[in-house]
Amino acid sequence: MKRIFSNKLFRYSLLVLIIAGAGVLGLSKSRKPNSGAMKPKKAEMADFSTIESREKEARPGNISEGIPIYGNWKTFTEKDGLPSDKCYAVRIDKERNRVLVGTHHGLAVYQDGKWTTYTKEDGLAHNGIVSIDISVLTGDVWIGTLGGLNRWSGGKFETFTQFNSGMPNDLVYNVFCYGKDVWCATGGGAGHYDTQTRQWEIFTEMNAPMHEPWTYALSAGDGKVWIAAWGGGVIEYNTVTKQFRDYVDPDGFMEIDLQPDDGVVHDITTATSYSDGILWISSYFGMSRYDGKNWKGYFDHDSGIASNFINFLRAERNVVFVCCDEGLSCTDGTTWVTYHKFDNSTDGKAIVKEGNTLIKEVPLSPSISHNFIIGVDAEDDVLWVATSKGVCRGELLN
Amino acid sequence: MKNLRVIFTGLLVSVSISMASGQQLPVNYGNIPDELVAFDKYQKAYKYHFIEPMEFYGAGRELPFPTDLKEVRIGFLGPLEGSIISNLGQQMLQGSVLAIEEANKKGGYKGIPFKLMIHNDVGLWGAAANELVKMDDEGVWAWLGSIDDIVSHVAIRATLKLEIPNINTGDPDPTFTETNIPWVLRTIPDDRQSSYALVDKIFVKDKHTRVAVIRANNRYGRVGILHFNRTSTRIGYPLIIEERFMDNETDFRPQLNRIKKTSPDAIQIWGNAKESALILQQIRELGMNQPVYASDRVVSKEFLEIAGSLAENIITTCQYNPEANDPKLKAFKANYVKRFGQEPDVFAAHAYDGMNIIIEAIRKAGLNRVLIRDLLTDLKTFQGYQGVTGPIHFDGTWNNIRPIFMAQVKNGKFEFYPAPAYQKDNTIYKKTSMGY
Repeated sequence: MKRIFSNKLFRYSLLVLIIAGAGVLGLSKSRKPNSGAMKPKKAEMADFSTIESREKEARPGNISEGIPIYGNWKTFTEKDGLPSDKCYAVRIDKERNRVLVGTHHGLAVYQDGKWTTYTKEDGLAHNGIVSIDISVLTGDVWIGTLGGLNRWSGGKFETFTQFNSGMPNDLVYNVFCYGKDVWCATGGGAGHYDTQTRQWEIFTEMNAPMHEPWTYALSAGDGKVWIAAWGGGVIEYNTVTKQFRDYVDPDGFMEIDLQPDDGVVHDITTATSYSDGILWISSYFGMSRYDGKNWKGYFDHDSGIASNFINFLRAERNVVFVCCDEGLSCTDGTTWVTYHKFDNSTDGKAIVKEGNTLIKEVPLSPSISHNFIIGVDAEDDVLWVATSKGVCRGELLN
Repeated sequence: MKNLRVIFTGLLVSVSISMASGQQLPVNYGNIPDELVAFDKYQKAYKYHFIEPMEFYGAGRELPFPTDLKEVRIGFLGPLEGSIISNLGQQMLQGSVLAIEEANKKGGYKGIPFKLMIHNDVGLWGAAANELVKMDDEGVWAWLGSIDDIVSHVAIRATLKLEIPNINTGDPDPTFTETNIPWVLRTIPDDRQSSYALVDKIFVKDKHTRVAVIRANNRYGRVGILHFNRTSTRIGYPLIIEERFMDNETDFRPQLNRIKKTSPDAIQIWGNAKESALILQQIRELGMNQPVYASDRVVSKEFLEIAGSLAENIITTCQYNPEANDPKLKAFKANYVKRFGQEPDVFAAHAYDGMNIIIEAIRKAGLNRVLIRDLLTDLKTFQGYQGVTGPIHFDGTWNNIRPIFMAQVKNGKFEFYPAPAYQKDNTIYKKTSMGY
């Protein structure tokens, strides 16, 4: 035995084992999503209680504990009155008891069991509707189109473009209402429209830490705005201090993710969503979760996520709905429910996993309308999903 | 006891390795030499991207072909007016036009003529996105463009949203295809390949150790020099100074004087033809006689005219061999000169190939964007395609990684020869088994 311990190779291997063991222990510890949440420092805090409480009041939902599972899916397509099967966005307007769907050929509104379509002829900037949000302060509907931004208020559409306003670009990938401000993400920069002063403030590479002004999506909460800046990771803007901070993949290489859980999984970011103190970030390479202190990354090989290519995500309470190109996932960071439709069938299944471990599969008949998910919104006991082939509505099963 | 020791040691090692839970790297992405794989000397990465091609899982394949078309529209996006590279954009347009005209002489698409829908990419910020929306409204089946990185990136994000297949024939930004968008291909080899060839030539073959860089302060310069900088540093020769210049700048003496003080033994220029030629002139005016290397955009008539005899022996890369003894290339050059009255450049030649690929894909797949995309990206139909610029070898991101060429000015003309294979340095290459 003494000879074994005197052997250099053995001693080296033992050292490697100890280091690897310690590393694995450390990693396994760090890879558990931290239960903590982002808490703004006192100095950074303004009175956001009004904004946040009104947001919560307007969208109380009931997604509280556990992971919801939805079923009894109903699909709507052109045959049911949608102007196009290609659906980019969906938003539930609880106040008016209706659902707004952005399609390639117009805005579709579902109310009292009927679909009504609005197009350029009705005053929209473009028929391609890619994003929708509703101001909880005014009830106005803000619509991001392929050709400008619309405010739908009092039954009329008001159009904002590069030429008639200070907005950064006409292709509005994402619109997000936060208090009196309406934020937009475009290929020419991000910006917000102050609905009281009627002024735009634009952020590009000239006045924000972006290499280029390519922005794709944004969200806000607790006085901060998080901009998904395409190849620039995530830009955090503090609305009180007016200061920026950027989050990028620490390894600096596009072709790898060197370390798990060390930051955003990739610089090509596609959406952000903030809820319950947690910032969720999507990319075409996986998803990230940030609680203000710790990062956690999710890939299809180490979690229950449907795929790494994520078009969009929306966090509601303690869970996030993830719009992937191979299905819809919902998670709290540990437990996953992924909806997948079978090929050549209207049926599918909900796959429940703890981490990457399969717990059960729930048959769904019918299932979601298509696996290519582009938009999602949840409210009370229902979930609406915009897909490449129609929009669908699911009901809470548990 | 010896056997026990071997078994025990082997067990420990295997357990250590098996604790790693990340991906194994089957092949290097993007022709990256073994010793230049990021962090590979120290640890394996948790996740390697771009090894397998993306699939498009969306709907649309089921849409019927239209039957009432009078023309089959193909989009073009390029810098045609109001840009410092509009001369490159015009060449790209002319290459595209020639391909369309030849296709229409052969019957177009089942007797329906192809029509090029031409869009200028210069305008308000993000103009490229708006132009893509116009193309969608026009009903194009695919589009070709552009050159400037900023334009191309803005445009491909819109093309993903609108689901229109794109072939890029002029933007060498390595990050262009590193966006994972399954609607985008590139036929012109990128700056990653140029950087490897230049670093090998400058540091390994020509034995320089102290290299200064002066580059354009735009995305072409910043992203272009990125892999050059990383590669030279990785093999032990970090750049001694990196100076920048603005578009349309004409006096580079302040930057060059700072470079002169560092006593470099070679200088690398990364910029457009005009500025590169002026920089070369001022390098010599300042009494600096170091060998000068440049980026691929100096392979142009403009550079040779401005630089004159000072261009002699300048070395750069070129994405193809414009002087290759290839009947297809010769016919293209003759037809191009006849049609437009000027020699085609690298942008014209690659656009000609790119547009011909789009045309062939439409003819084979039919009038359905998703089916056209499927054909373009299947890594079979166009893998090994022989164009006037040479063969196409797509990697998992549909980036053409075929071998490129070195170009050197001899007797007032560029001479081309294949870039030698990257010379592996075994003192640098120490692949680790640690990590994920």
